[in-house]
Amino acid sequence: MPTDILRSNPLREGLAQRSIPDPCTLVIFGATGDLTHRKLVPALYNLAADGALPPAISVVGFARRDKSDEVFRTELEEAAHKFSRQGINDDLWKNFASNICYHRSEFDKIEGYEALARRLDEMDSTRGTGGNRLFYLAAGPDQFEVILENLRKSGLNKARPGSWSRIIVEKPFGTDLPSAKRLNDLVENAFDESETFRIDHYLGKETAQNIIVLRFANALFEAMWNSRYIDHIQITASEPLGVEGRAGYYEKSGALRDMVQNHLLQLLCLTAMEPPAGLDADSIRDEKVKVLRSLRPLTGDDVFKHVVRAQYGAGSINGKRVAAYRDELNVNPGSVTETYVAMEINVDNWRWAGVPFFIRVGKRLPKAGTEIAVHFKSVPPVLFRATGESIDDNVLVIRIQPDEGISLRMSAKMPGSSLRIEPVKMDFHYGTSFGKATPEAYERLLLDAMSGDATLFARRDEVEQAWKFVDAIHEAWTTRTDDLALYSSGSWGPAEADELIKRHEGAWRRL
Amino acid sequence: METPVSTSASIESGIPVEIGKIDKELGKLWESSGDTKTRASLINLVVYTENEAGLAEDNEVLASVAGRHPCRAILILGTPSAPTSQASAWISAHCHLLGKDTRQICSEQITFRLDGDAANALPNIVFSHLDSDLPLCLWWKADFPEPLDEKLWAWVDRLIFDSSSWRNPHHQFSIIRHISSPGKSAAVLCDLNWTRLHAWRFALASQFDNASAFPHLSSVESLSLRCAPGFRISALLLLGWLAGRLKWRLDAENETFIAANDRVIPFHIDEIPGPNLSLISIKSPDARFELKLAVGSDFFESTIQTPGIPEIRQILPAPRGRLEDTLLAELSRAGRHTLYTESLEVILPLLTH
Repeated sequence: MPTDILRSNPLREGLAQRSIPDPCTLVIFGATGDLTHRKLVPALYNLAADGALPPAISVVGFARRDKSDEVFRTELEEAAHKFSRQGINDDLWKNFASNICYHRSEFDKIEGYEALARRLDEMDSTRGTGGNRLFYLAAGPDQFEVILENLRKSGLNKARPGSWSRIIVEKPFGTDLPSAKRLNDLVENAFDESETFRIDHYLGKETAQNIIVLRFANALFEAMWNSRYIDHIQITASEPLGVEGRAGYYEKSGALRDMVQNHLLQLLCLTAMEPPAGLDADSIRDEKVKVLRSLRPLTGDDVFKHVVRAQYGAGSINGKRVAAYRDELNVNPGSVTETYVAMEINVDNWRWAGVPFFIRVGKRLPKAGTEIAVHFKSVPPVLFRATGESIDDNVLVIRIQPDEGISLRMSAKMPGSSLRIEPVKMDFHYGTSFGKATPEAYERLLLDAMSGDATLFARRDEVEQAWKFVDAIHEAWTTRTDDLALYSSGSWGPAEADELIKRHEGAWRRL
Repeated sequence: METPVSTSASIESGIPVEIGKIDKELGKLWESSGDTKTRASLINLVVYTENEAGLAEDNEVLASVAGRHPCRAILILGTPSAPTSQASAWISAHCHLLGKDTRQICSEQITFRLDGDAANALPNIVFSHLDSDLPLCLWWKADFPEPLDEKLWAWVDRLIFDSSSWRNPHHQFSIIRHISSPGKSAAVLCDLNWTRLHAWRFALASQFDNASAFPHLSSVESLSLRCAPGFRISALLLLGWLAGRLKWRLDAENETFIAANDRVIPFHIDEIPGPNLSLISIKSPDARFELKLAVGSDFFESTIQTPGIPEIRQILPAPRGRLEDTLLAELSRAGRHTLYTESLEVILPLLTH
């Protein structure tokens, strides 16, 4: 087996870098789209520049538009120049691009897949890609079904003996639990769960991975990571952007399904999970699923008590006037789609009993930022009562993006003859401490999929459990619309969200 | 990307300070900088050199390193043969803009000149000016002295040196062995000559990760390398690594390796002007593996020829030639170089030749 070879390659020992994956062909469905240009190809180029790609690799773009290999490569080169985190070296690009080709076909035409199969066989013999195939569903979700069906019919889902065939599925994994189940069934018809890699790019971010290290490699934190010491946890994902031309998709999804079901619940899982038995994919994913199963369901009236939904109105961002959501292009003027969600989630297990997790996500907020803030309980108000000093609680903040890092707020005595206590911040910035450039999430995720490591990908039961939780909220929302609040663009959300956390005697963090 | 901001100085143009007041003067330096500057430090990086002419270059390297790896830099110029005994110090700062931010991340540098007998104060100078609780990386840019000051070496976490610059490598390596022997120092040995080989080792390992290539590793029949004149030691270290990994013994007399089944594996090193190391070619009865580095290139040309598979050509990252890049690569690594001593032991008999 290739993995055994890698393990036994004596030249590999002592090298800082990970093993190189098997030679393979990556087939991208929807290769003319934004994701391929902005993320996938720049990520592949960066991997090539780091020497992390296998010696034999081919990339096949599969899409409907008519174009030659040469035109496709030129378009990708332009995109790589624009979006790669490091400059493009002409020689390296030339070498990398020689492995890229374009395959034109309709997604629903089986002939296109049969021709693809022949082409891949030929590439295996001329390029030494060894019959290993990685299919990437980067097309619109409405195309997933037909692509999966045709991969199955054409036999591309089945690898030759000694080779592998895998699939990467981009989000959204369905639009609700039934559609997610249906999609998962379709995937399962063609690929085994061990061959399926559902991407949630938040999991590929260094800081998301660092949550596990921070929690389980530092005795300081894990000992206090429970309801005895923690008062509540806030998870925030804010962005100043509006729908930016994605109104067609966003009108159907809204913030709850676009962000909470996947990214925010994943961050919650990493924060709340128990120590896994090991660092392998299933040990970690088992623990995340346990958290999702422990989420106290929000149904009926509880939804309106614990969840605030809102939509942005007109306002200003960075000094510029911006339109209300309902005035955006392709948005229904009477739309009740939420662009902001704040909610209180309870994890009903031994560790987190009585510790609410407050989640908020929104568009057209003042600044971009994703973070997890762990608010510790107050010290007993005994010792400093007489001085009249109010003491701020300790807060540990894990910044996921931008300016990735960790900070800890604590109290300190101000210099002087009187006892004055002020909060101070200990701050760790990845950018300052590690001169090394942080790889993009897609680099890590593509490499993991090529290596067959599913740790940073969502498993079927995780996805479905998350949908189950989110669907109940959505169902309650269909019964009325008068709870939809409005907030001005450029503000931190509606007053109702402030009220939500105020009930716990808390306040949203200022990012 | 980071933008360097020139606020600092060198031994000639830094702020001269009394040695006893260095901490106070550094404090003033930061107080005067206001809120726009953040002092950051991950390590103490002490550089010891006896080459006054190279001081400007050392300063440039430290400024460049500080931008990517914040540190307290202590640059010490020792001139033990100077007739008069004198110790002088200067302070300076290296600041870099962080991305588009207006904040500057700054590292501080203390530069010492230790003339004559004052050079004996080296351990005290180091001990009294370290940033507390941070690891000590000592970059020794001179021949190792004998006898060694055991107290100094005991404090060092990472000992950096460059074996490619040694005039008598066999003797210097014997000192290194002494330093790293049990009970002496727990310092991690960081030979920049070995660091430069990392990209070579990574590229070679990658060639044999390939399932079709891997079996040929056990039937290697000859090796040839090409290096620049004066860099034979780099080629030998790479050979030492291969031999150590593949359990080959050295026959120093005949300059060949002997595999476990007594198979003789000849090797040949050509010294030709060009990059320090420019080629390694590994042959087995029916396969050939080659890594080639052209002058000025940042990439290797990798070629794999195995039976039944089309020739595979690939471009792989090569070591960056600049000294600061090598030093940064070394500082960014954690842990020990577990195979360095193993590789060194294999080739040690050849270093006297």
